Amino acid sequence: MNRTRVFALLTLVALLAISGYGCGGQESDTTETTTEATTETTTEATTETTAEAKGPITVGSKEFTEQLILGQVTLLALEDKGFEVKDNTGLQGSDVVRGALTSGDIDLYWEYTGTAWISYLKHDTPITDSQECYDKVKEEDAANDLAWLDYAPLNNTYTIMMKQEKADDLGISSLSDLAAYLNKPDHEQIVFATNHEFSIRDDGLLGVYDTYGFEFDDVATMDSGITYDALKNGEVQAAMGFATDGRIKAFGFVNLTDDKHFFPAYNVAPVVRQEVLDKYPEIAEVLNPIAAELDDATMSDLNYQVDSEHQVPKDVAEKWLRENGLIE
Amino acid sequence: MIRQNYIWAAVSGILSIVCVVYFVNRPGGRMAARILNYDTILQAYREHLLMVAVASLAAIVVSVSLGVLITRPFFRRGAPLVDNVVNIAQTVPSLAVLALFFIYLGRGFNTAIFALWLYALLPIMRNTSTGIQSISPDIIEAARGMGMNNRHILLRMELPLALPVIMAGVRTSVVITVGAATLASFIGAGGLGDLIITGLAVSRHTLVVAGGILSALLAILLDRILGNLEIYAQR
Repeated sequence: MNRTRVFALLTLVALLAISGYGCGGQESDTTETTTEATTETTTEATTETTAEAKGPITVGSKEFTEQLILGQVTLLALEDKGFEVKDNTGLQGSDVVRGALTSGDIDLYWEYTGTAWISYLKHDTPITDSQECYDKVKEEDAANDLAWLDYAPLNNTYTIMMKQEKADDLGISSLSDLAAYLNKPDHEQIVFATNHEFSIRDDGLLGVYDTYGFEFDDVATMDSGITYDALKNGEVQAAMGFATDGRIKAFGFVNLTDDKHFFPAYNVAPVVRQEVLDKYPEIAEVLNPIAAELDDATMSDLNYQVDSEHQVPKDVAEKWLRENGLIE
Repeated sequence: MIRQNYIWAAVSGILSIVCVVYFVNRPGGRMAARILNYDTILQAYREHLLMVAVASLAAIVVSVSLGVLITRPFFRRGAPLVDNVVNIAQTVPSLAVLALFFIYLGRGFNTAIFALWLYALLPIMRNTSTGIQSISPDIIEAARGMGMNNRHILLRMELPLALPVIMAGVRTSVVITVGAATLASFIGAGGLGDLIITGLAVSRHTLVVAGGILSALLAILLDRILGNLEIYAQR
């Protein structure tokens, strides 16, 4: 064979080898960032040759820190109890993760009650009571063959933040204070950074305006992650964020108190495909005690370790589980 | 061909209006209706067009100059360098460019313009230099023979002759920019991308479809108008 043919053949073999490796390889430590990259389904790679091998359970999560930590906590806890697990965490966006669950690409992930109520169950009016929201969501989602396990005390609801010094200067510590300040004719410009979701939802900016009776001087809409940066860099004077984010403490922000209790409930709970739960009901026994331990302070701290101390979610999850005696 | 372009442009324009009216009247829910109203959509169009216009005009000025520069004999050494830099700028994905620029320049319209401008350079610059280089040297010889100096040759012969090819580059560049500008919403610059991204964030697919269709129709409209400009430039 001439040289060109040899070269072409080698290239073809190399390509086949690479694609073969990609399909068959275990992806236990890497996080996926697109759903298209999922090449495995739970039925395909199952090797249930022994009676002890349970699973595999594919765990998903959204892409932000808190979700990654929850995903790793779940993977480690299930593995510790003898399950074979697959890591499909880090999927981009609520829509994508939910789609992965309903289609069977993943078996479980942690979802927020408020998000399910508004985004997936398509209700426009939010619920502020944690128990009520959870009960309603659990009931309705059962029709979708999805089971909601126990919810955690943590309430990752919206928060409006300002820099601590700025808030102190202007004497603002609650949203009512902010409203009073902005309604004064002679006030400093307050520009507000928001993400797309908050800007349009009933339980978002517009609801805040209605409930507290004020409006920001200007609103800038941008990606969720960078509202904190915009506030930190002084490009805006107030920003929306999520109550358990570690960056609030790290960047010296203060959460303005929601004194009229407007923001709805966003407790997090594992959502499992009913058929998976039916097959392995012990999943609930593993995850319910974990959920009970996750309150605002705990979650904020875990987030802080990842975001500000730059630790890896898996390490943070493992350390926390061990410290609390939840895994060996 | 001219008539075809006008027809396509008119069709896109009319379809856009029809779509806007349709979506405003059937937003598919109260939340979607917050964005799918005439004021907000018009504002989105304004922001989008402004971004595309400013970035494209700035890109034309700079890349035509650069394109001319790299065809000048005195710059022969520097030509590959300029070519490579602009090439590399184009290969970085537009979202990454926007994100990087946000980190160093902050949020908003100006940052987005800068990023979009960078992205719009290559097609125009490439076409300018190719257009000029494809002019037969005999023509230049003849012009020199008639007593034209270098400046005259550039302004009265090279640029006019290369104009159709340059216009083709501008056309490509504008279409790319319309698409890339939808991403500017991530860094707070607004535009039609707001519809798409908000729709994804709250799972209201009407918004996503609306934003996508309107952006695509805008790109077609601009492409066809510029197509006719390209043909006029050839005459």
